[in-house]
Amino acid sequence: MSGTLTVRIAAKRMLTPRIREFTLAAADGTALPAFTAGAHVNVDTPGGATRSYSLTGDPRRRDRYVIAVAREADGRGGSASLVDGAEPGDHLRISPPVNTFPLHRAARYLLVAGGVGITPLRAMYHDLVRRGADVRLLYLTRTPGDTAYRDELAADEAVRLHHSAHAGRLDLWPYLAEPDDDARIYCCGPPSLMDEVHALTMHWRPSRVHFEDFAGVSGTDGTSEPFRALWRPTGQVVDVPATATLLQALRDTGVEVPSSCESGTCGTCRLHRHGGEAEHRDLVLEPHERERYLMPCVSRAPGGATIEVGPVAQAQ
Amino acid sequence: MTGHVDSLYVYPIKGLSPQRLESVPLEPGRGVPHDRTFALARPEGRYEHGMAAPLPKDQFFMLARDERLAGLATRLDPATGGLTISVREHPVLTARLTTADGARAVSAFFARTLDCAEGQAPLLAHAPGRRFTDVSVVSDAMMNAVSVINLASVRDLERRVGAPVDPLRFRANLYVDGLPPFSELDLVGKDIRIGAVRLRAVLNTKRCAATEVNPTTARRDLSVPRLLMREYGHAEMGVYAEVVTGGEIRPGDAVRFGAAP
Repeated sequence: MSGTLTVRIAAKRMLTPRIREFTLAAADGTALPAFTAGAHVNVDTPGGATRSYSLTGDPRRRDRYVIAVAREADGRGGSASLVDGAEPGDHLRISPPVNTFPLHRAARYLLVAGGVGITPLRAMYHDLVRRGADVRLLYLTRTPGDTAYRDELAADEAVRLHHSAHAGRLDLWPYLAEPDDDARIYCCGPPSLMDEVHALTMHWRPSRVHFEDFAGVSGTDGTSEPFRALWRPTGQVVDVPATATLLQALRDTGVEVPSSCESGTCGTCRLHRHGGEAEHRDLVLEPHERERYLMPCVSRAPGGATIEVGPVAQAQ
Repeated sequence: MTGHVDSLYVYPIKGLSPQRLESVPLEPGRGVPHDRTFALARPEGRYEHGMAAPLPKDQFFMLARDERLAGLATRLDPATGGLTISVREHPVLTARLTTADGARAVSAFFARTLDCAEGQAPLLAHAPGRRFTDVSVVSDAMMNAVSVINLASVRDLERRVGAPVDPLRFRANLYVDGLPPFSELDLVGKDIRIGAVRLRAVLNTKRCAATEVNPTTARRDLSVPRLLMREYGHAEMGVYAEVVTGGEIRPGDAVRFGAAP
């Protein structure tokens, strides 16, 4: 998962007043790394911030990635700099695709999208339809005009569009009332929608319900305390103050750890945890992975404790 | 120091919903009737049906590990054993715990919501005289202690951390108010008097990760033990107390901390 890609903006178009679609091609015209539905890339935005965007295009196409970016007026600025400042012909640096929201085999699928959260679910939906899977997509937006890919999706019987400005909030209970161990639910949207689906699926097997969350978490909120890290390859002990993340502290002492979102969502900076207690704050690692790994951009150790970490063994 | 009883709660099943009470009849040496008299035992654990010996809390499903339990609204009628489980006001299970069929239905329900492996299910633990409280392993006397939370202490913590702290994170039986913050931590060996009822404070309550769970959203969103340690240098909030002299207590009753006046 190392290295970055340089891509060229091949096309930019308006999907809604707030959302722009970008088609990205390799700058040197070669094939791009393969991805699966649900994957995202981390983009170094013109504003300087790194942001994660789901790939919404067809995973079979190796010549392009498609992302859709909502302009967040009150967000951290990365999206606005893309929507307003990135034009066809411009180059962007992105990470290779990472999939922390992959499709699992199931007899039935329910996809629940809110707003720009449609992006990963659109790729999943088309993928599942091509495979002949039993899939239903609930796509919730405020108005028809706020609905990216409306024309493409509206005609499908398996898609239910719902616009809250006219019809109020959709009652999701009829779709979630019967827990189904053979089904999988995938949900991506604003926190209020994901909280609602989380609350309404408490009687489901949690392993059957998946959420994609790019809002990010902080590694140094008010509850952070200083601790120490032992870097296994060199035996060096690194002091991590309350005001710094483990990632920053490692870097300050010359340890190279690749990273991207720095908000616990992308999975790039994963470290092997060899010993010591961890305070996991990320949104990436599965519960069983937390026993061996740690995301140093947000996760810490208890105050005063020492945690032993090292790089993740290279794949292949 | 005089305050009052704010509210009273029973938690009939360990880890599951609080149930508010309008009055509680207390008897010497006994806890709140029906409190933690059921629990969900881990299928791979040491609990066996009918076992009366105490087991540590890690043998049971509990909020410290299984925050998902807070997302289910459960209500047990102790008189009939009738249990209703709801998800946002929608009933998803009704069963009678006291029947074999009902216990099986409850096991199957929690096997799903706790994602137990294929063929495994929690055992519905229940044994005469046993309460599945965290301190039940200390002694039967501690098992029968009443848990007390001082709302002024919770407000003090709220103010220091700058975030709302739902008092129900602490899952106490008896919530009191109108007393100085953390005055409940100086009571061990002394009395708590509620009218004619006398309790004796026996142990300050060290908080565990169960308090990290938001009782409304079922998400772990506030590191309460860590925040207590940072703000006060200890992880205590609330006190356990044994009933010395029984009687009926109700919200609004006057509460006095310390020795008899």
